[in-house]
Amino acid sequence: MKKLLPHPRWAVISVPYAWMLVFFAIPFLIVLKISFSKLAIAMPPYTPVLELADNAVSLRLNLSNYIGLFTDTLYVQAYLSSIKIAAISTLLALLIGYPMAYVIAKLPPSTRNIAMMLVILPSWTSFLIRVYAWIGILKPNGLLNDLLMKLRLISEPLQISNTPIAAYIGIVYCYLPFMVLPLYTNLVKHDNRLLEAAYDLGAKPWKAFFSITLPMSKAGIIAGCMLVMIPAVGEYVIPELLGGPDTLMIGRVLWNEFFNNRDWPKASAVAIVMLLLLMIPILIFNRVQQREIERRLT
Amino acid sequence: MEHSGNRELDAHGKGSEDYLRIVDVRKEFDGFVAVEDTNLSIRKGEIFALLGGSGCGKSTLLRCLGGFEKPTSGKIYLDGQEMNDLPPYERPINMMFQSYALFPHMTVEQNIAFGLKQDGLSKQAINMRVEEMLALVQLGKLARRKPHQLSGGQQQRVALARSLAKGPKLLLLDEPMGALDKKLRSQMQLEVVNIIETSGVTCVMVTHDQEEAMTMATRIALMDSGRIRQVGTPDEIYESPTSRFAAEFIGSVNLFQGAIEEDQADYVTIVSPSLESAIYVGHGVSGFEGQEVAFGVRPEKVQISKEEPEQQYNKAKGTIEEIAYFGSHSVFHVRLPSGFRFMANFANQQRWASEGMTWGDEVWVSWGENEGVVLST
Repeated sequence: MKKLLPHPRWAVISVPYAWMLVFFAIPFLIVLKISFSKLAIAMPPYTPVLELADNAVSLRLNLSNYIGLFTDTLYVQAYLSSIKIAAISTLLALLIGYPMAYVIAKLPPSTRNIAMMLVILPSWTSFLIRVYAWIGILKPNGLLNDLLMKLRLISEPLQISNTPIAAYIGIVYCYLPFMVLPLYTNLVKHDNRLLEAAYDLGAKPWKAFFSITLPMSKAGIIAGCMLVMIPAVGEYVIPELLGGPDTLMIGRVLWNEFFNNRDWPKASAVAIVMLLLLMIPILIFNRVQQREIERRLT
Repeated sequence: MEHSGNRELDAHGKGSEDYLRIVDVRKEFDGFVAVEDTNLSIRKGEIFALLGGSGCGKSTLLRCLGGFEKPTSGKIYLDGQEMNDLPPYERPINMMFQSYALFPHMTVEQNIAFGLKQDGLSKQAINMRVEEMLALVQLGKLARRKPHQLSGGQQQRVALARSLAKGPKLLLLDEPMGALDKKLRSQMQLEVVNIIETSGVTCVMVTHDQEEAMTMATRIALMDSGRIRQVGTPDEIYESPTSRFAAEFIGSVNLFQGAIEEDQADYVTIVSPSLESAIYVGHGVSGFEGQEVAFGVRPEKVQISKEEPEQQYNKAKGTIEEIAYFGSHSVFHVRLPSGFRFMANFANQQRWASEGMTWGDEVWVSWGENEGVVLST
């Protein structure tokens, strides 16, 4: 009897797996299936992949959606442009976030938590509201232009909103906490004596930073960059609201395919390719990391 | 400077008194005085220990030498050069940190080469020096390992090699044995001393462990609440402590409070309420009759016997209250009629030698006229 019932610990372990199955694996398989079907004027608007006809199950994989992605320059450009925008935003977030995390980690413990709170606090308001707030700041008669005009730094309003620059500002602003958090968590654990040892051995402060602090925060840098880069590639709301028509990102293409063209199979294929684009580098990186850990242990 | 230093080498191969000079150095943190005005002179080639309990200021003084703390007042001179305004990276001083502070992302080689790289030496010169250092600490085979792959003793030797690689004028050791277990400690103490003496560097170390200081150092400064209480060789500090603090901090001691009864040029007698007979000291001391003093005698200087000793002074009768057996010797705790607990060592030179005396026995303790010290502070 005892043998028949699973051990209680399986119940605990199975919770995350069940979560992954219901909210990731099954939806993913549905999207994957749709991506291999054809557009149809029906409800739902695509043809079935598996069909029962003449007492046989036939599987029809329609690859035209994928082939279309690589032959139509719009999609290729959208992918490349998404990766470019995400990469530049990630770099900017790193350049802004690293000094922030460094300074916060050096603060006395009591003020440290307050400073981290200030970094996280904006995330407590709705994401959409914050993006709309940036429209208010960046538009031609918005806060920024008003201020610059009053200071007589410019005579005509700058066109920032509805340009890729605004999209960069929005992405960097929204994802900065995701960069600062892992960097801070890493930097706050650094042993100050290592820096003292570096000074003691003749390294000037900047040299000690580049040879000790920076390499030792590698894990934090990678984690922060991944947390910013991955969602930024698929970002839809920020380029839509701030970026204007010139900001070509795959998230918008996907939205258009799905809602404007009602081409579910194409939209699904776009999503699958985007996922692969993100997954492959992560898997390679994990593999490398794993190998490094194994090499260290042996 | 180098030459004059060599000329003044004395018979023991140690240089003149003033290779490292600490002059009126004082360090305050927000009104709290960590180091009171301190003066010290350390010879070239010496291993000098700052010994004291936690919070006595020894580490602060060491950090002042390393340049990690700036003295509130006073000057530090090394080989005639003032150090006060030099940052750590410009001082010809290297430190072996407590728990080593090895760079975890670098190999043993890279750790040792780090300081040499900062000097902009050629790759070849660096490699040669690293090899030399690895040979000195016998770690050639582990050159490519990362610190976390090494044992505690190996990590310590890497740290030592790293701090010696630049050939510093002064080596600082902060609790060098603090991160090692007890058995490894005694072995590494001698090994570290050997390596330091081979390299000939002048060394200041900080420790709270009197045994470590006595084993490793040529001279010891005993510190207490920011002040240096006594400076001397290990045997000087042990045999001739100048204060009650020094006598009690190092080793164990039987300490009697009393007053000088007779103060002569060649002898002194002291009466103590703890002892029935007077204490006789076979030499003159600087004091006056009636002065409150303490008298200390080490347990190993005390004889214990069942028969009454013939001498007239320096003896007491009591009962054995406790016997602590240490293998090489036993410590008898003898309760005197005054209630004083007198400790006397008994060397177990023969098997079962201390068996003759047991708990509750009446015994005599006695000591020679020159075996104790008179302490006025």
